[in-house]
Amino acid sequence: MTQNYQFLPSTMPAIFPGVAGNAGKPKRRRIRPARVALHMFLGAMVALWLFPLFWAIYSSLRPYSDTVLHGSISWPSGGLSFINYQTVWTQADIPYYYVNTLVIVIPGVILTLLLASMVAFCCTQFSWKFNLIVLMLFTAGNLLPPQVIIRPLYWVYLNTPIANLGSIDVSKFSFALFSDNNLLYDQYIGIILIHVVFQTGFATFVLSNYMKTITKEITESALVDGANVLRIWWSVILPLCRPALAAMATLLFTFMYNDFFWALVLLKSGDKRPITSALNNLQGEFFVNNNLVAAGALLACIPPILIFILLQKHFVAGLTLGSTKG
Amino acid sequence: MNLDLSRRDVLKIAGYGSLAAFIAACGGNTNTTTSGITAKGGSMSLGSYNTDPGNKKGTQALVDAFSSANGGTKVKINTVDHGTFQNQISSYLQGTPEDAFTWFSGHRMRFFASKGLATPIDDVWDAVKSNYTEGFAASVKGDDGHVYAVPTDYYPWAVFYRKDVFAAHGYTVPTNWDAFKALCVQMKKDGLIPIAMADKDGWPAQGTFDIINLRLNGYDFHTELLTGKQPWTDPRVTAVYKKWSEITQYYSPALSGLTWQQGADQLLRKQAGMYLLGLFVSDEFKASGSPADLDQLDFFPFPDLGTQYDAEKALDAPIDVYMLTKKSPTLSADLGQAKAFMEFVSKGSTQVLYWQNAPGSIPTASDADKSQYPALTAKAVQIVSSAKRITQYFDRDSRPDFSGPNGMQGFLLKFLANPSQDTTSLQGEMKAFWDSLPPE
Repeated sequence: MTQNYQFLPSTMPAIFPGVAGNAGKPKRRRIRPARVALHMFLGAMVALWLFPLFWAIYSSLRPYSDTVLHGSISWPSGGLSFINYQTVWTQADIPYYYVNTLVIVIPGVILTLLLASMVAFCCTQFSWKFNLIVLMLFTAGNLLPPQVIIRPLYWVYLNTPIANLGSIDVSKFSFALFSDNNLLYDQYIGIILIHVVFQTGFATFVLSNYMKTITKEITESALVDGANVLRIWWSVILPLCRPALAAMATLLFTFMYNDFFWALVLLKSGDKRPITSALNNLQGEFFVNNNLVAAGALLACIPPILIFILLQKHFVAGLTLGSTKG
Repeated sequence: MNLDLSRRDVLKIAGYGSLAAFIAACGGNTNTTTSGITAKGGSMSLGSYNTDPGNKKGTQALVDAFSSANGGTKVKINTVDHGTFQNQISSYLQGTPEDAFTWFSGHRMRFFASKGLATPIDDVWDAVKSNYTEGFAASVKGDDGHVYAVPTDYYPWAVFYRKDVFAAHGYTVPTNWDAFKALCVQMKKDGLIPIAMADKDGWPAQGTFDIINLRLNGYDFHTELLTGKQPWTDPRVTAVYKKWSEITQYYSPALSGLTWQQGADQLLRKQAGMYLLGLFVSDEFKASGSPADLDQLDFFPFPDLGTQYDAEKALDAPIDVYMLTKKSPTLSADLGQAKAFMEFVSKGSTQVLYWQNAPGSIPTASDADKSQYPALTAKAVQIVSSAKRITQYFDRDSRPDFSGPNGMQGFLLKFLANPSQDTTSLQGEMKAFWDSLPPE
C-alpha cells in the first residue's frame, strides 16, 4: 500500500484526482478490491440500518386488511394509500398531542438553559473553592439512572402541594396554572420540572466547558464598569455563549421530545400525555393494527427530523462542544 | 411592615389560596339531589381502559346515556390505553384515581379489594343482584365477602374454526380427545396446520393450560393451584403437561415468534384448521375487511378428556367489571353519583348499548335483549351459560407476577420448546419461583 503514497507528481492525480493541472483530462481512478469490499460493506450497513425505517414506511402505507389477507411479507394487492395517516391523525388526535409535547418541551428547554448557564457562569467566572465539587456534582447527577428514583419520586409528587391559580383554556385545551389537582402529580409542570432536573446536569457540564474558553478578563472589566453579577451573566456572558446555547437547545429539544418514561409514570390523565406516550392509545386490549402504529410512529418522528434538518450545524457543534478545554 | 416570609409561609399561602379556589369551584355543584344510596345531577369521574375504537365509542355512548338518565350528571372520562392502565394500576389506585374505573374480576379484583384500594358496593349489589346468575355473583365478591364490582361483559375461550374448511374436507366437530387427535392427524395429511398456536406474547398458551387442567383435574384443583394452595410439583400437573404434549406436534411452526394476530391470520387464510383462543379472534377477521370470512368463523368447546370433570363443562370466560376506587379525592362528594353509575351499568339495556359498539363484549345482565345477537354471540352465551364452572383466565386468576414473562409465560414457552421433556425439573422451577415471590 505504501508505494501509492509516494508523493511524486506522476502519482498525484491517481490519489487526488482533483488536483490542479489535471482538470482538463478525463479522471481515471483505479478500482482496487479493498475499495470494492469497503463500499460493499458500507452499502450493506446502510441497507441494514435503513431497512426497519423503510419497512415502517411500507407498512404505514398499506391498509391493514391487505396485511391480514396476504401477510406482512407480501406485495400490496390493493395498492398503497395514506388512509392510515388519515385515521391516525383523527382517531389518535395527533395534533392535540403535538401541542401537549410543546407545552412540556419549550418551557423545559428554556428553564434548563437558564439554570444551567447560571451554574456554569458562577463556577467558571468566579474563583470559589467549591467550583470543582459543584461541577462534579452536576455531572454525577447526570449519570444517575432515572428508573432507580421512580418510587420515591412518585410519592414526592403525590405529596407536593402546588397552587391552583385557574387555567388557560384554548378551545379543547386546558392548561392549568399550575396544577388542577393541587399536586405536582399528573401535571404538565411536574413533567417540565423533572426534565429540567435531569437535563441541567448535562447542560451545566457542556456550558461550563464552553464558558471556560471565555477569558475572565471580560467579566472583570464588566465588574470594574459597575455591572452586577446578574447583569454580567445576562448581558455579557450569555450573548457570547450563543453558539453553545443554540447547540444545547437543539439537543435538549430532542432529548425531551423523545421522553416516554416520565410522562408514563408521572401522568395519570391520558389527555395530558405528550405524543410519544400517546401513541400507546393506538393499541387496544388485544387487537393492534400495526400499520396504524407505524403511521403514528412516523408522524411522531417528523418534528425531531425537522429540527435536525433545520439546525444540523448546531447538532454537529453540540457533539464537539466542550471537548477541548480552554 | 415586616414582609419576611419563610418558605413555609409561602407554601401555606399558596395552599390556602388554592384551597379557597377549590372550594369556590366546588360551590357550583349545588344541583345534587340524593335519594337513598344514589344521587342525581352533580358530577363524577371515570377511569377507562377502553381505547379500542369501538369500545371507546361504546364507553362514550354509555356515559352519555347515564348522564341524561341521571339528571345531567357530568362525567369526566380519563381514557388510558389498556396496556399502560394495567401496568400502572397499582400506582393509579394509590395516587389520585377517578371515582369509578374499568377493571377485571377474579384475583385481580380481589387483590386490590384486600389492599383497601376499592370501595365495597354491597348496597348497589343488593339492588341489582336479581339481574345476575350465580356465576357472575361469585365473580365480584372479595376475600372478605363484600361485593366490590359490577360485572358488565365477558367473552369465552373456545376452539375456533372455519365452517367452509370443515365442510370442504368433511370434518366433524370432535367432542372427545381421541376424535380431536384423529382430526389433527387428518388435517396434517390434508396439508393444514391442525392447531394454530402463536405464543410470542406468552399469554396465549396459558389458555390451553387452563382448559386441559380444568378437564383433567377439575375447577377446584385449578383454582387452588393458581393461588398457591397446591404445589406445582403435584403429579396432577405432570399429567397436564403429558396430555398437552400429545397435541403439540400439530402446532404452528415457529410458534414462539408469532403474535396471536398472526395465528388468527393462519386460520383466516385457511392455512390452519383450528385455533384455541378468546372470542376476540373475530376482531382480526373483521379487520380483514371481508364479511364473508367473518361469516365462516365458528367455534366449539374444548373436547372432553374422559374424566369426571368433563361434566363441569368449565371454561375460561373472563369478565370485565366496573369498580369504585378508594383514594379518589372527589369520591366522598361524588359517592351518590358513582353508585348511580354502577347501578346504571348493571342494566341489560346499558350493556346492550355498549355491546352494539363493541361486539366482542357480551352483556352479563340477565335482562339484556338477546334477540339482536348474531349467531356467534348467541352460541357464546349458550356455552357459557351451560358451563357449571367459569374461570377468568390464568393471568386473572393467579398473581400477576407469577403469570408474567418471568414466571409462567416463560415456563410455558420453555415447555413448548421441548414438549416431550420430562417436566419434573420444569415443575420444580415453577414451584421454586412461586415460593420465591414476596407475600402479596
